[in-house]
Amino acid sequence: MIQKKICMVGVYGTGKTCLVQQFVHSIFSVKYLSTVGVKIDKKQVRIGDQDVTLMLWDLEGRDGTRDVSASYVRGAHGIIYVADGTRPETVEQLGDLRRIVVDEIGETPSVIALNKFDLKDQWKLSATDESSAGGADFHRLRTSAKTGEGVEAAFEWLAEKTVAGTEKGS
Amino acid sequence: MSVKIDSFGVTDIGKKRQVNQDNFLIADIAKTVQVRHSSLSTDTLGGKFGEAGGHLFVVADGVGGGPDGDRASEGAIAALLTYVTEAVGCFNEVSVTKEHELFESLERTVREVHENLKAEAEGRRRETPATTLTMVLLIWPRAYLIHVGDSRAYVRRGSRVQQLTRDQTFGEYMVSLGAWTEEQAATARPAAALSSAIGGSELDPVVGLIDLEPGDGLMLCTDGLTKHVDNDKIAAIFGNSGSAESVGKQLLSEALDAGGTDNIAVIVVNSAERAN
Repeated sequence: MIQKKICMVGVYGTGKTCLVQQFVHSIFSVKYLSTVGVKIDKKQVRIGDQDVTLMLWDLEGRDGTRDVSASYVRGAHGIIYVADGTRPETVEQLGDLRRIVVDEIGETPSVIALNKFDLKDQWKLSATDESSAGGADFHRLRTSAKTGEGVEAAFEWLAEKTVAGTEKGS
Repeated sequence: MSVKIDSFGVTDIGKKRQVNQDNFLIADIAKTVQVRHSSLSTDTLGGKFGEAGGHLFVVADGVGGGPDGDRASEGAIAALLTYVTEAVGCFNEVSVTKEHELFESLERTVREVHENLKAEAEGRRRETPATTLTMVLLIWPRAYLIHVGDSRAYVRRGSRVQQLTRDQTFGEYMVSLGAWTEEQAATARPAAALSSAIGGSELDPVVGLIDLEPGDGLMLCTDGLTKHVDNDKIAAIFGNSGSAESVGKQLLSEALDAGGTDNIAVIVVNSAERAN
């Protein structure tokens, strides 16, 4: 069985844990509890004719007092960068987060989840903001951990790229 | 970097219960080679010999005074200890692949205990004994966690204390879904029922990890502590710089003074950079 380590990276409160919960358990929690350290979940997916187990590392979010720990992303096969579309500052930090990851593990298949798209009246990103989020060469998706919109697509796109192994996140 | 680990564990029957169904374990995992004396520097030796390669900390709470709850909590800890003993050779260097194997092995061990308890109870036509379990396997600097039920683990960095685990109770589940308010969860009778337990009707082990820094601390406890001592009070006591023993005894004393309505188990772990 092929195993792939996927890390969820982003600022605190962007919905990393909720995206994993939606993808793995099809549930959405309304109660916010910040992740401390890393919570690990797994889900089996079918890519082509192969069964692949995704080991999902839900990393504690960056906040004013702590940064993303580079040691947690070591050995990752793919990264989901998560930003909150209602908080543009979480998008602005994507480039910085990407540098931390790339410095540790080099270029790795990646996708950006612009999350909380269900909060349409609070959405603060223009089309230009969305298309430039995180810099060049990124695959980006609007997601909602609440409704499930874009969630499977984000994980499955990344899973395919990790199995393909040679393509960058573009 | 060489780190000194100071740990202390204690359990108490409390003031209301007839038996103590809480159990705990603190174990050092060491290589068999012990360098007694050498002209080689610690750096050359890699700091590996003569020191523990890892540390195991576990608390378990036999559920709700049910049948053989103490046996369930004992059995869960013993099974994990057996697994760790058999796998001890793997713990000196944990690669990414081995790390995932470790998670799966720990989870599998917990599931085996669960199935064994259920099968044994079925054979004897008795209600299945059940237990919570919160375990940290510390292979410095990484602390691997597996958690079932409403026992807890906390981490301290500086004076900041944070809860690492989330209670697996019916009340927490209902609040997380938005079906109940926090107030309803605090007063509703079934709120404290476990939504996941070893030997229970549901089992949903949670695994995770955290990288520690010298000076960080860990605290594991059963709900006999947390039903009487809130997180602010825990932070005030655990956040101070006392020895593991003094902090552990103080936490126990707080729970007993506040009523001690349940069995209590506490493990406190302090880390510090070892002076050369």
